[in-house]
Amino acid sequence: MLYFYINLFRYLIYTIDRIQLIKLENFKFLTVLIFIIISGCASSVTIKETNIPKPHFKKSPLVVALRIPSEFDNFIHKENVLGQKEWSINLGSSHASLFEQVFGHMFSNVILLGPKDEASDYVFDALIEPKIDSFEFSVPNQSKTDAYVVWIRYRIKVYDSFGADFSTWTLSAYGKSHLKGLNKQKSLQKAANLAIRDAAALILLQFEKTTKIGTLVNKSHKSVNFNQSPHIE
Amino acid sequence: MKLNLNLILTSVTFFLSGCVTSTIENARDVITDSYNGEAVVVMAKSYHQGNETEADYINCIEKSLGNGRGALNVLPTQRFIDNLFPWFEPRTAPTNTKGLSELMSKMGVSKAIDTMGVRYIIWLDGDTERITQGGSLSCVAGPGGGGCFGFAWWQDDADYEASIWDLDSVRSAGTITADYSGTSFLPALVVPIPLIARTQAKACSGLTKQLKDFITNS
Repeated sequence: MLYFYINLFRYLIYTIDRIQLIKLENFKFLTVLIFIIISGCASSVTIKETNIPKPHFKKSPLVVALRIPSEFDNFIHKENVLGQKEWSINLGSSHASLFEQVFGHMFSNVILLGPKDEASDYVFDALIEPKIDSFEFSVPNQSKTDAYVVWIRYRIKVYDSFGADFSTWTLSAYGKSHLKGLNKQKSLQKAANLAIRDAAALILLQFEKTTKIGTLVNKSHKSVNFNQSPHIE
Repeated sequence: MKLNLNLILTSVTFFLSGCVTSTIENARDVITDSYNGEAVVVMAKSYHQGNETEADYINCIEKSLGNGRGALNVLPTQRFIDNLFPWFEPRTAPTNTKGLSELMSKMGVSKAIDTMGVRYIIWLDGDTERITQGGSLSCVAGPGGGGCFGFAWWQDDADYEASIWDLDSVRSAGTITADYSGTSFLPALVVPIPLIARTQAKACSGLTKQLKDFITNS
């Protein structure tokens, strides 16, 4: 690709020189122009953290520990769309923010654990560990519509206070935004934000029922065996 | 002089507009209590149900309902959705009034709706599509100048449906359908002269007028 642009640049200079429309000292302008052309061939989108509104739910009395994986701190998805430019979608800490907010709305006590924190140092009923299984998106040229679509598949693992695998839930969130009235970056941002809100709604409505985490209430104790569990990394 | 200028501008706008034809149908399901300035929310039916209503059309309806003669008290959609999170998200929003009555029994929902003072939800469905186009137009530019020659035309169809739910009686109050069709022309003899049919804008103003009448003359 770079070779193509170098040749293009050479060709432009050659042509311009030939028709004597431009002098050598004006090459700065051309360099800027070429840079603009090149930078226009990659799309970069930054997704701001999505605000998850407070629902009208009673909080569960469970004490849960939430372990946020290190990949959630600065999640960047890069993908070459066939026949098109490269897309770079920077979700920053959007995923971490989603789980912190949504479990904060669901449970009375949430202990946030970083990737290096020892779970055995804390007392809780259950430990929740979310992961991203996949992040996918489609642009209008692929779907033959005017919509940007984002799919995020999360895998949420629940462990009991002994560190034993209690349940696993995989959820697929979906967000779609039409291009009309928005530019492509804003449209993709909106689709990603809608997918994150969709995940939040799904967790709020189905997490307890699907994982049966409520049965772990009042089973908290400081487990010395936690580090021996093969399930907890 | 000012009047003449306005007259000229109006005439030019009129002659430079394409043709738009419209059909609006209004079906009232029940007689509702009189409207006393309660809040109205404009929502798009979910994309999970295959709806493609454009964001700018929803904004247009929302703005138009809240302004002009017979303006309604329009509550911003996002505020309504956020206050009732997660019940009006694309995946979770009720698709019919049976779902609405189930939703009203959920904890905090009725109270939140009462606090916001919302009486009606208007669900928008439909979109504007280019159904056909034809002709050809080519433009040429050179050192001595440039110009366009040819003739192009296209036809847009705007089909929208607004379902009005009365939250007081938890029933569907009625439905308004708006079907607008507009043909635009672009003849060019050196300079292109666009004769644009503003189909979607007309569908917005037409549906807004009917919605205002429907709600205020309940």
